[in-house]
Amino acid sequence: MKSRIPPIILGGISRRRFIQYGSLAVGSSIVAACSSGGGESTTSSSPGASPVASTAGGEGIKVGVMYSTTGTIAIVEKSLQDATFLAIEQINEGKGPWSGKQGIKGKKIDMAVVNPDSNWDLYNQMSKRLIDEDKVVCVLGCYTSASRKSVLPVFEEKDSILYYPVYYEGNECSSNVFYTGAAPNQQITDSIPYCAKNFGKKGFFIGSDYIYPKESNRIAKAELVKAGGEVVGDEYAALGTTEFITIINKIKQAKPDFVLSNLVGDSIPAFYKQYKDAGISPEDIPIMAYPTTEEEVLAMGPEFAEGHYTSFNYFQTVDTPENKAFVEQFKAKFGDDRVTNGVMEAAYFQTFFMAQAMEKVLDEGKEINTATLREATRGQVFNAPQGTVKIDPDNYHTYLYSRIGKWKSDGQADIIFSTKAAVKPIPWSQALYKGRICVHSTPDKRGNPIVETKKDVPIEFLKV
Amino acid sequence: MDLALSLGQLLAEAPPPKAIDFVTLLNQLLNGIGIVGILLLTGLGLAITFGVMRIINLAHGEFIMLGAYTTFLLQKNFKMDLLLTIPFAFIVTAIIGALLELTIIRRLYGRPLETLLATWGLSIVIQGVVKLIFTAQLRYVKAPPYIKGNWRLAEIGGQAIEISYYRLFIIFVALALFGITAFLLYKTTFGRQVRAVTQNRDMAKCLGVNTGLVDMATFAYGCGLAGVAGSVISSLKSVAPPMGQDYLVDAWMTVVTGGVDKLVGVLAGSFLIGQSNAVLAYLLNDPTARVIVLAAVIVLIRYRPEGLFTVQKRG
Repeated sequence: MKSRIPPIILGGISRRRFIQYGSLAVGSSIVAACSSGGGESTTSSSPGASPVASTAGGEGIKVGVMYSTTGTIAIVEKSLQDATFLAIEQINEGKGPWSGKQGIKGKKIDMAVVNPDSNWDLYNQMSKRLIDEDKVVCVLGCYTSASRKSVLPVFEEKDSILYYPVYYEGNECSSNVFYTGAAPNQQITDSIPYCAKNFGKKGFFIGSDYIYPKESNRIAKAELVKAGGEVVGDEYAALGTTEFITIINKIKQAKPDFVLSNLVGDSIPAFYKQYKDAGISPEDIPIMAYPTTEEEVLAMGPEFAEGHYTSFNYFQTVDTPENKAFVEQFKAKFGDDRVTNGVMEAAYFQTFFMAQAMEKVLDEGKEINTATLREATRGQVFNAPQGTVKIDPDNYHTYLYSRIGKWKSDGQADIIFSTKAAVKPIPWSQALYKGRICVHSTPDKRGNPIVETKKDVPIEFLKV
Repeated sequence: MDLALSLGQLLAEAPPPKAIDFVTLLNQLLNGIGIVGILLLTGLGLAITFGVMRIINLAHGEFIMLGAYTTFLLQKNFKMDLLLTIPFAFIVTAIIGALLELTIIRRLYGRPLETLLATWGLSIVIQGVVKLIFTAQLRYVKAPPYIKGNWRLAEIGGQAIEISYYRLFIIFVALALFGITAFLLYKTTFGRQVRAVTQNRDMAKCLGVNTGLVDMATFAYGCGLAGVAGSVISSLKSVAPPMGQDYLVDAWMTVVTGGVDKLVGVLAGSFLIGQSNAVLAYLLNDPTARVIVLAAVIVLIRYRPEGLFTVQKRG
């Protein structure tokens, strides 16, 4: 064994070696500095509107922004952070939907940006830090159900507010969370009967192997059975799987009329590509999906999604003046090659819900804290890109449109189904839990908000 | 005990075995060949860096990712065909590999624990740098338009037995690289030098072999192979900074199962793991199959730490 000089022992470093290492370190830091300063705000330390600059103006309103910009979920959460930054910039500078105003009654929103690195435990720790040390009044953030479940006890124990922008599996109703993504009845309840009616009765269900896809598929299967259909397959793949050859073979064997996909992340492009590669066309067996949005379609190449379907509240092709402005402003800030999708839209408009509520609190001459902000947020109405939406004053979920899009060759969706107005949210699937609804009888009621009506809950639309 | 319990639970959750359909099973065996191709392709680079050089290379997945990004960049900027980008992916990752060998790995030979930590750190750094440059967005690589569709082997009762051409292409590339590597290693002067250096570094040096150069070239070649794997696989999925991680564990399982001393071990390892994965996933389900295969590999290493194919060594 030949002994070598261990390179990193102080004192053992000769002058020449020190110069070598030193220049290497300087060089790499220059590279790092250049690449992070290269126009895009990829790190949490250089967000669109700098928190340092806005504190200088004195007494801003502190808001936490908690999305992972590193790790496996970063691919999605980064774009949510972008949408949030855009909204806060518009609020602070009085642009977009906020034109004519300047901040919240002249006060700027100060962002405390944290990056939980796609690690569920870190979400918990970071949310504690935001509430205890940064003293934020509320937090905008989280994407996966796992991260929401991880921070929920923190927000309930410390009595703070989380604005959560993601479609989710339901079965939850906290008075410390405003849910601005779709509840089961705003996505699943319309799309499954649509499939049963237009494609056929036999459904094959697939998803990634964790809480959201399993729970969402459980609801969807119940809806299909309720609609007179039949479940011919139910398969899950580990999160991040990109090998779908076996599942596709099982689909071929089961010969369903449609496939319902709740795959997330990297698995989506891989599945669609291999599906087409295996020779199954959308005319034979169409895929109806929830997590497949404009962004994933762009990443896989539009020809692989063409002809398949997605059910969501928002598509980039929604025809409203608000959406036209949103897409334009987003592209102007983040680049022409970017697309917008439903989750980003929710992350965008929930920031305005928060801003409007803060404005209302100040108008009433009160101080912004959890109680006043909660009271002011419930019942807020906003002209979002998808149309007029409202936070339900009883269950803190959001009235949203329900839409189905068919993917075209340019990677955009042709909206083939849309409700006329936003649908009232019901956090519990009525196919599984008939008559169960959620009512917070007082704004911060700590007891059990679940109400069993034992009756069919009627579908209600937002009256504007 | 816990493992056994949860395994039992997993098995209980799995759907009851269906009536086995002959055609579907044949298809599944063909699919298994498709998985074997990917395993062989991703494992080959590691068979060089670990099998020959004994470097515990946890950054292997990142070289696969770098190869994929090379293809993405060339396709985006120069509209190049995927096949044409393969040599570039090899060259780019080989150069990066050579630089890293020169600056980091070289200082750590004979110290496996430090190498492990260093390459692990390296994988984090490479991912971070790529994320800074390209952002975390998923990227899209276009498959060559002339390799599409399925090769129909036979048709039984209206059901086709087929395999996609792209999977065949992957197997072809993997076997070709395997052949080239075996030739290089066992039939050329360079290969003899490589083996001499890894078996007895000091003696090789005495006999006039430029060990530094041989080390660098070998590591660069291993990284280049990983780059080719990334380039070929890129169109089957999407390109993103963490993509290499998915292949790291599979590549390691393949190399360790087959045995690290002989190149043919990788071929055997990938065949064994790929096919058992395919059959188990068909009979049970995907996550369960992964657990069973992983458990089997652990048991195998316990009783045959050298893997299935080993050379007898004199003490």
